[in-house]
Amino acid sequence: MNVFKKEMKANIKSLIIWCCAQVFIIFAGMMKYQGFSDSQVDVNALFAAFPEEIMVVFGLGSVDITKVAGFYSVFFLYFMLLAAVHAVMFGAVEVSKEERDHCADFIYTKPVRRFQVIWPKLLAGVVNILIFNMVTFAASVFFIAQHNDGDGLIDKVSLTMLALFILQLFFLALGALFGSLLKNTKQATATASGLVMGFFILSVVVDLYDKLAFLKVFTPFKYFEGASLMINDQLSFSSAAILLIVSLIFFGLTFLAFNRRDLTT
Amino acid sequence: MNVIEINQLTKYYGKHRGIENVSFSVEEGEIFGFIGPNGAGKSTTIRALLSLIHPTSGSATIFGKDCIKYGSEIRRDIGYLPSEVFYYEHMKVREVLNYSASFYDNVDTSRIQSLAEVMDLDLNKRIDDLSYGNKKKVGIIQGLLHEPKLIILDEPTGGLDPLMQQKFFELIRTENQNGATVLFSSHILSEVQKLCGRVAIIKDGTIVRVENIRDMQKHNYKKFTLDYRGVIDVHHFNLEGVTNLTVDESTLHFLFKGDINRMVERLQGQNLMNMLVEEPSLEEIFMHYYQKEDQP
Repeated sequence: MNVFKKEMKANIKSLIIWCCAQVFIIFAGMMKYQGFSDSQVDVNALFAAFPEEIMVVFGLGSVDITKVAGFYSVFFLYFMLLAAVHAVMFGAVEVSKEERDHCADFIYTKPVRRFQVIWPKLLAGVVNILIFNMVTFAASVFFIAQHNDGDGLIDKVSLTMLALFILQLFFLALGALFGSLLKNTKQATATASGLVMGFFILSVVVDLYDKLAFLKVFTPFKYFEGASLMINDQLSFSSAAILLIVSLIFFGLTFLAFNRRDLTT
Repeated sequence: MNVIEINQLTKYYGKHRGIENVSFSVEEGEIFGFIGPNGAGKSTTIRALLSLIHPTSGSATIFGKDCIKYGSEIRRDIGYLPSEVFYYEHMKVREVLNYSASFYDNVDTSRIQSLAEVMDLDLNKRIDDLSYGNKKKVGIIQGLLHEPKLIILDEPTGGLDPLMQQKFFELIRTENQNGATVLFSSHILSEVQKLCGRVAIIKDGTIVRVENIRDMQKHNYKKFTLDYRGVIDVHHFNLEGVTNLTVDESTLHFLFKGDINRMVERLQGQNLMNMLVEEPSLEEIFMHYYQKEDQP
């Protein structure tokens, strides 16, 4: 419990900053929706004139963005990116930071096993990503309601947030695994953020070239689609199951790898 | 009873040698010195004892239990002061010490206050505002707080001023008189001689020998440096106990082992500008004593 409390305290500032940024993005994004719906321009016709590549990169695939649910579904891509970076960094830093700050000697010479230090740290991670998720949820419902005659689309947003949380868990586990396997925090965060970037690029490539659609399974960003969550109210069960199982495996490997680690000063 | 027993402990970092076949044991209630030049493998041995690193081969037991397998249990009764002290920088001294205490059962937290007074440490300062010496004090308190049965000190005196060193040695002696066993690692011979009963000497990753400090004192070398005003008469110092005599322009260097009065007599009448008598470094002692003795 002492480790959990300390780690929550240590991360509170950065969590507040992440949450503020997220609230601002949702606020600003929904302001744009206001702009669209006020301007009376046929936005769908306008966007149809854009090259497909551009639309794909910005996540404007095939949804009707003149409807608030359709417009909001485009956010999902940005949420995934932000949440992925937040979670993967958290995992990578949290597991390896004692060695970075040269205080591994302090905590790992206490009468505790290594997993007794690592698991409260990961629990703090889960609580952090959950708070980030809840703030995203609350801000979404609030700002959607403002542009949708008071209806915040709670059901649809809840489903979207559930998908987001599963992805956050996956990235937290991935980050933690890098933190326990790689030599130091710097390598872990660099590799982790590089991989997030790679996943994103792959998700764009898959959208652009139908022939490469089979590569979908290799990028978590393609496991859930904003449109099917927000419009069809569907969350892919198999995607959720795969991501959760892989996350569990990664968490397990993190414990194993960290246990075998030679800690440096 | 042996508190620490190390048996053929070997650690390689990849191809890099850490330590090779290190064996020695520390008896209950003694202050055991662990001495060797920097990079000889002292910290590696200690870190393996604390299961911070995993040995390549060999084993070690503390309180009769394997120190990897029963690490967390053993560490309840170990107080450890690392050579380089670092703590969570954004915390206050008091917070770090309370955090440290929270890992142990039944810690008498009033000891934080009393130890801080002895060591003259301000508990309300933030860790990142502390000087190196003050951080070391945090480390000392943190290591002694839970009244450990075994105290492991890795180069503990660096950064402490002489007065603090004195207080620190007193603290360690008191803990020892109250029953704690101490493993004291250092590269400074005089420090170890002051405090320890027995010493293990490590060099290039292997134990050269384990000795009683009294036997070691027979080999009490002093390092002389004489600055001459005029011409140096090298043959003047051609007496028993003088080794490693070198001349460097107007300066004469040598090591001396033996009755210091004979040397004082010999120095009389010399036309000197300056004179320095020092504790030789461990390397120098190793070079001129152990190497010679190890050869048949």
